[in-house]
Amino acid sequence: MTASDLARCTIVLCVVLAVQNTLLDAIRVGGAHPDAMLLLAVAAGYVAGPDRGAGFGFAAGLLADLFLPTTFGLSALVGCLLGYGTGLATRGLVRASWWLPPIVAAGATAVGLCLFAILGAVLGEQGALRTALVPALVVATPAAVVLATPVVRMVGWALPPVSSGRGAHAGTGLR
Amino acid sequence: MARTRRPRRPRLTIGLLVLASITIITLDYRGDAHGAISSLKSAASDAFSPVQRGVDAVTHPIGSFLAGAVHGGQLEEENAKLRAEVGTLQQQQLSGPATANALRSIDALNHLPWTAGIPTVTAQVIALNPSNFAATIELDVGRRSGVAVGMPVTGGAGLVGQVIATSASACTVQLITDAASAVGVRFGPSSAALAQVDGTGAGKALTVAYIDPGTVLHKGEVLTTSGLSDAAFPPLIPVARITRYSSTPSSTEESVTAAPVADLEQLDYVDVMQWPPPG
Repeated sequence: MTASDLARCTIVLCVVLAVQNTLLDAIRVGGAHPDAMLLLAVAAGYVAGPDRGAGFGFAAGLLADLFLPTTFGLSALVGCLLGYGTGLATRGLVRASWWLPPIVAAGATAVGLCLFAILGAVLGEQGALRTALVPALVVATPAAVVLATPVVRMVGWALPPVSSGRGAHAGTGLR
Repeated sequence: MARTRRPRRPRLTIGLLVLASITIITLDYRGDAHGAISSLKSAASDAFSPVQRGVDAVTHPIGSFLAGAVHGGQLEEENAKLRAEVGTLQQQQLSGPATANALRSIDALNHLPWTAGIPTVTAQVIALNPSNFAATIELDVGRRSGVAVGMPVTGGAGLVGQVIATSASACTVQLITDAASAVGVRFGPSSAALAQVDGTGAGKALTVAYIDPGTVLHKGEVLTTSGLSDAAFPPLIPVARITRYSSTPSSTEESVTAAPVADLEQLDYVDVMQWPPPG
């Protein structure tokens, strides 16, 4: 990763964090809100494959953890697993369709929220599974559909396709 | 023959990242790196709070304008109600000092701290529920303003929650609706009965535990902080109103739900009580 790649990744992470912490956190339905930081990990896996997706997801999660009251490192763990999983699951897909990123984003966000709730419950976060998961799924999953296109575009700019090797990727499919 | 560079193996990357995450989680969970993680969170919060305040300053008037346009009629009605309440309060104020003196004397006899005498720091809410899995708010005051972990936070007419983390210029408050929140309360004609109000998640009803079956309860009855020794809150702060209660012959306690007295969905300004919990 070059210095300019690192700068682009930092810019995208900071912009999405600012949008999440100021605007998206304020959109609350039943106590839940959209989760763009989780979506960053999904978009990274979709755009850049499992390897870089895991790294970017880890960074996004760790950054989100700095502002969350939940156990530190939990979002980082979910982020790297989600980035890796999304990269693996979408590796063979043809990325020409505009509707693919929203569908991937919705499915992966739902998986990520469930993973977060299960790991949170294991770590003693009371109510993560019992009361918080359903509102989070109802609000964050449709929101992921809406936010998928801009987030995938931003992550596509931050993580351009590598020129050679097995990690080469076909791009976002968004024109 | 040209040799191609061997690509990095994704399994190694994910393995290292998972290991790093688990290490961080373990350090935080066991409290071994609590100081370092708190400092890191505090620095991040301080660095980010000007952005949060700036965006809030821009978006808040827009939100208020839109809310005003949509709820114009309702606001007029609320204004009329508030004017009536101001009249009632002015009336009560005239007879207030004598009553307050009497209550102060009684509390002094019981060695209870007097809630009205506790200094407070007024704060603005700059973020609501940053996590989908915890009911918390962020305030624009921190250690620099004398705010410390454990201090109670009140807003509107009742208890909002308790400070759980601070930075120099901001703090995080766990709301009483958070699933990890438990507040000791008292109720009844002589406020002698004790119970515990538990949160069940943001925007959800509170549950009240440890009430014996057959206890006389009333809908709308206000539960106040118990103020027992070692309690996390000073006494007599209104916490919740009973909304529903029932019991079955085989149950060992009443099934009681309650609603917070403070409107936790419409918090704008709150007071942080500079009352550190004992111990």
